[in-house]
Amino acid sequence: MDTTLDIFVKAIFSENMIFAYFLGMCSYLAVSKTVKTAVGLGAAVIFVLGITIPMNYLLQNYVLKEGALGWLNPEYGLDGAHTIDLSFLSFIMFIAVIASMVQLVEMLVEKFAPALYGALGIFLPLIAVNCSILGGALFMADRQYSTIADATAFGIGSGIGWFLAIVAIAAIREKIRYSQVPAPLRGLGITFILTGLMGIAFMSFMGIEYKNGDKKAETEQVEAPKTSQNIELNK
Amino acid sequence: MSETVEKTKAPSEPLFSKKNRKLVTDPLSDNNPITIQVLGICSALAITVQVEQAFWMSVSVLFVLVMGNLSISLLRNLIPSRIRIIVQLVVVASLVIIVDELLQAFVPDISEKLSVFVGLIITNCIIMGRFEAFAMGNKPWPSIMDALGNSFGYAWILLLVALVRELFGSGKILGFEIFGNNLPGEESGLYAMGYVNNNMMILPPMALIVVGIIIWVQRSRNKALIEDH
Amino acid sequence: MAINRDSNGYTFGFAIALVVVVGTILASLSLGLADIKKANAEKKKKMDILSAIGIESTRSTVDGIYDETVLNSFVVDATGNVIEGEKAFSVDVRNQYRNKTIEKADRKYPVFEAKNAEGKMITILPVVGAGLWGPIWGYIAIGEDNETIAGAAFDHKGETPGLGAEIKQSFFEDRWVGEKISVNNEFQPIQVVKDGSGVNEMKVDGITGGTITSVGVGEMMNRTMAVYVKYFNNKK
Repeated sequence: MDTTLDIFVKAIFSENMIFAYFLGMCSYLAVSKTVKTAVGLGAAVIFVLGITIPMNYLLQNYVLKEGALGWLNPEYGLDGAHTIDLSFLSFIMFIAVIASMVQLVEMLVEKFAPALYGALGIFLPLIAVNCSILGGALFMADRQYSTIADATAFGIGSGIGWFLAIVAIAAIREKIRYSQVPAPLRGLGITFILTGLMGIAFMSFMGIEYKNGDKKAETEQVEAPKTSQNIELNK
Repeated sequence: MSETVEKTKAPSEPLFSKKNRKLVTDPLSDNNPITIQVLGICSALAITVQVEQAFWMSVSVLFVLVMGNLSISLLRNLIPSRIRIIVQLVVVASLVIIVDELLQAFVPDISEKLSVFVGLIITNCIIMGRFEAFAMGNKPWPSIMDALGNSFGYAWILLLVALVRELFGSGKILGFEIFGNNLPGEESGLYAMGYVNNNMMILPPMALIVVGIIIWVQRSRNKALIEDH
Repeated sequence: MAINRDSNGYTFGFAIALVVVVGTILASLSLGLADIKKANAEKKKKMDILSAIGIESTRSTVDGIYDETVLNSFVVDATGNVIEGEKAFSVDVRNQYRNKTIEKADRKYPVFEAKNAEGKMITILPVVGAGLWGPIWGYIAIGEDNETIAGAAFDHKGETPGLGAEIKQSFFEDRWVGEKISVNNEFQPIQVVKDGSGVNEMKVDGITGGTITSVGVGEMMNRTMAVYVKYFNNKK
């Protein structure tokens, strides 16, 4: 039972899309040669994840999930006579939502924010096939977040995590040009190894325990029946 | 990154002509989808902790790529160019759903382990890449050959990484103990002599480093592939 | 070519045809396999329940063994009283725990009563919680005295292999056997410790390098057992 803030922080650091799950590696490797383009793509990913995850969350919970159509007619609900389970369509629906949202966002940004379009425009089409977007949607469905706020926090957090990762590797790649990397390792090889080392560094976030009010409440409830004698015994 | 569209024009060439064989053998090393074209990394690395998962992932990709290349190639003269990408996405997504359903029904334990990564085959760039670069412009048979070549190229890297990680990470291959028994208190084989598994290997970052080393070896052997930064 | 492939009519027609064809194939496949998938999930659950009392089964044998072993099952509420008319097997325990819209007081707690190999009545209770990477869950068997753990089986979705994932190994599961969930009918939390003092009562050794997962196991055990102790007290 994580709070919304927990989900957000975890998505950025310990469950980083790149370092923990390798999602969105293709564009991560291809577009990380300079910091400027990396920032553009990273911002576009935050933007698209922040929009598509809540969209897909609604789709998952009100259309696709087993019994999710209960709001139409109780008969289709979990306890109804004709429970409908459309979850087998989730892959195709998620990718359709992502592809069309990317298209829509591109058109809207072009129309209403030409300056932003200049910065993000060329990256938006790339994003439809970025694994981190579909991966985010699938993780969201898999982890069964209970509110749309949690899902949104997860989406934006994952985006920020991805942004951090690509900007960091781009900065390193800009500098590594001046180093004596063994010839066969240049370019792709060293980028893989660097990402691995960065992943190890990011793993140090794993041990952090996200203490929060909600968890405390549960532990308190558990420990309530303890008598003072018991507490001393435990010491 | 993207290749130029190769056109097979000869009207009646034998099924295993030199050209067709090249379609299969090229992606195995000099044009490997993972180490050279850098495609399909996303879903590749996360499931290489154990050989078994890597194997099923490769089989799934093989199925999706062969069937997809075949259907796109058959439909290539019918697909309206404006909705080309969406049509390709629909084909991949449906094939992946079929794979997922079959895995869930017939090998449920594997399906549980692969979890969301089966779904991520959809955004595996190898697949969309081959549809766009090859199947849209070629006849069905060469398209199948191309699909086979690329999925084998994908599979052997995957299996090699998984082999290294499972062997050194948990001392097993396909669950079979190579270095002896590692249970606390009843060690045998190498473990009795003080050998310890490298837990690092099991963690995600090592997959990247192993692939990095494979690239290093491959490019040392074939100098033509070396990049200048 | 006679047809203009770029006309709007053709594009729409193609899209509609594609959707119909794909939809038909997928829907029929999903319907055709639905029963097998459901049976798979049920068998897995039965195997998990049986493994808590040390009975290993395979997918082909589990149904028969389960019917022979598990004699009775029902659902209790958060105060330990039996709720009539609920099926224990179909309660989704993980959803009960994770879904924030279900109040803690309204959660349902399934109970399975089974006979073990020696013919003793064992109560099997499901537990769910959170590990480091994702959900962890398990089944706990309580012996005839209604307070001693007779067996435990844990599983996880994606804990770190070799570290947190070791919770499903028998050496860790066996550490729970013999611990008591209550002393003098009072719930007593079991501590997960790191210092190797887990041989004492009310303490269990965690897994080296898998601290967060081990602590997660402890949290889920104590949170769930606090409720079930009320049920056992009502029963006594």
